[in-house]
Amino acid sequence: MPETPSSSTESLEEGVELSVVVPLYNEEENVPHLVAAIAEALEAHSSWELVLVDDGSRDGTVAQVLEAASTDSRIRLVELARNYGQTQAMQAGFDHSRGNVVVTMDGDLQNDPRDIPLLLETLDQGYDLVTGYRKGRQDAVITRKVPSYVANRLIAALTGVKVRDNGCSLKAYRRSVLQQLNLYSDMHRFLPALAAASAAARITEVPVRHHARRFGESKYGLSRIAKIAADLMTIKMISSFRETPLALFVFASIVPLLTSAVVGASWLHRWMLNLGEHREVVTMPAVALILFALAAYLVMLGLLAEVALAESRMPVARRLPR
Amino acid sequence: MEGPDGRTTTIARIPGITPPDVTVLVTVTERPGSLLELHEEVREVIESAGYSVEFIFLAHPDTAALTTPLEPLEEMDDFRILITGRRVGETGLLRIGRDAARGRIVLTLPAYRQVELKGLAELVKHVESGAHMATAYRSPREDAMLNRMQSRVFHRAVSVLTGRRLKDLGCGVRAMRREVMGDLPLYGDFARFLPLLAMDRGYRVVEVPLPQHTRDRGARVYGPGIYLRRVLDLLGLYFLMRFTDKPLRFFGLVGSLLGGVGGVIMLVLFVQRMNDQGISERPLLLLAVLFVVLGAQSIALGLIGEIIVHLGATGRRVYRVREDGHS
Repeated sequence: MPETPSSSTESLEEGVELSVVVPLYNEEENVPHLVAAIAEALEAHSSWELVLVDDGSRDGTVAQVLEAASTDSRIRLVELARNYGQTQAMQAGFDHSRGNVVVTMDGDLQNDPRDIPLLLETLDQGYDLVTGYRKGRQDAVITRKVPSYVANRLIAALTGVKVRDNGCSLKAYRRSVLQQLNLYSDMHRFLPALAAASAAARITEVPVRHHARRFGESKYGLSRIAKIAADLMTIKMISSFRETPLALFVFASIVPLLTSAVVGASWLHRWMLNLGEHREVVTMPAVALILFALAAYLVMLGLLAEVALAESRMPVARRLPR
Repeated sequence: MEGPDGRTTTIARIPGITPPDVTVLVTVTERPGSLLELHEEVREVIESAGYSVEFIFLAHPDTAALTTPLEPLEEMDDFRILITGRRVGETGLLRIGRDAARGRIVLTLPAYRQVELKGLAELVKHVESGAHMATAYRSPREDAMLNRMQSRVFHRAVSVLTGRRLKDLGCGVRAMRREVMGDLPLYGDFARFLPLLAMDRGYRVVEVPLPQHTRDRGARVYGPGIYLRRVLDLLGLYFLMRFTDKPLRFFGLVGSLLGGVGGVIMLVLFVQRMNDQGISERPLLLLAVLFVVLGAQSIALGLIGEIIVHLGATGRRVYRVREDGHS
């Protein structure tokens, strides 16, 4: 694994307590402020590192990070080969950080590093993941706050993990949780739900400060609703049915099966009544059969899902009592 | 490593020999000229640029006869001919060649001449001086009108689907670091798209103009099967680059479009039924049900895809870290 040019000191190599991970994408102007703010907020903390992940920025972000790293050996750069998006940048930060506790935050200074001690305190009260929720959020109402409110409610309803503000990047994790998390696609939006599903994490939330953006442009927009809808289905699938996909598919097959039965029976009924007259023989029976085929197809897919799962269950099954 | 034909294709590395700088993989598929001349010219070009070179000629059973004149050269340690048991396509040949190559840099070269060979050293130099891959584009170039139009349509489609503009994907003359080649998915018909796949993985790709060889000029006519293959290749590439870790986004979109159309038709029928028009004999009802069913199937398939991705995600990392520069 590549290390930063400012070769970290020996004491840092071994057992850092706290890693702060910040993904950066075109945050040239924010980097110096960010670094200063974090260093100030963690002044009282004995052992920490700051892992700045450059997600293929096209501006001077890397140069700014290198400059900061040249004067402070606690700052490390992880430079991604191209722009992979926030999920992969976070995963890279997790993989390259060494602390027993990892705090993530945004690189745009909208989160306030002064909240980090509060997150750490709360974590110490016996949680695996502490997530901030933005009080007095400084963003546009229609394009940001309303969709976010709806999405958070939906995530809570679908996954049973009640987090008010999934979109707040300021979060603290125990290393043990991160070791069981594998982020892909755009899963950073659903980290608490994913952590609960994959690592059975104990989760709580604390209010954090939120500032308006000072430099640069916001990288979110309204255009993502279709993608998020698909991701929501995925997260529901993973959090509720990853152990029992067959149940989901059998459950889903009930509706077409019943509809098929009703349509078929009503057609048969009419057919019997109208013996000898003009009788409809194509559309209704076909509808019933197609719906029946769908039900059968869904059950078969459920079985296929069980096959896919069987592989991942093997290690458990092999643990036989002696 | 299992070959595409199920046989083991790993070639034992010859011990006691320093690996060469450059491995030239020559794929013998169609329209070859004299391979002996080709070998001599390329060796001359690469060696006079100061690099040691090894040659691997790769051929299908039906082009194997063309390599017969080369057989005496196999006496040399730096020359090999590999012939597959069955047709594996350009991509399959390159995969076999990649596993056998020992050079730091791999130069892929179709046996038919696409470019003037003098420029090959330039490709190697680009890779030596920092690029992960240097791919040639034919310039200056003369082609028949028909071929130019085909090429333009193809490259436009590539740029729309992948968002990346490349000048000449049809030119198979490319130099790359061996580990870069090892990191790229070489299956299906993806050889053509190697520069795109490399860029997608964050590697630096440079395009180098090389003059087109006179023999490469003139009209080429392909059968309709070839065009169908190209379209399928492009779709495969698009899916690979966009949706491999989020299948539900693709299947969900297709499914909701189909389901949406079916739903609208059903709604129309429902309104008509309320107005006392019989619908039980309408073929339209059948169509609506079919659409809805197809939509549901598509979404269900997407969910299966998501399960597979989720299970496969353990320990898999998509991102790559830039490991050079700055230090």
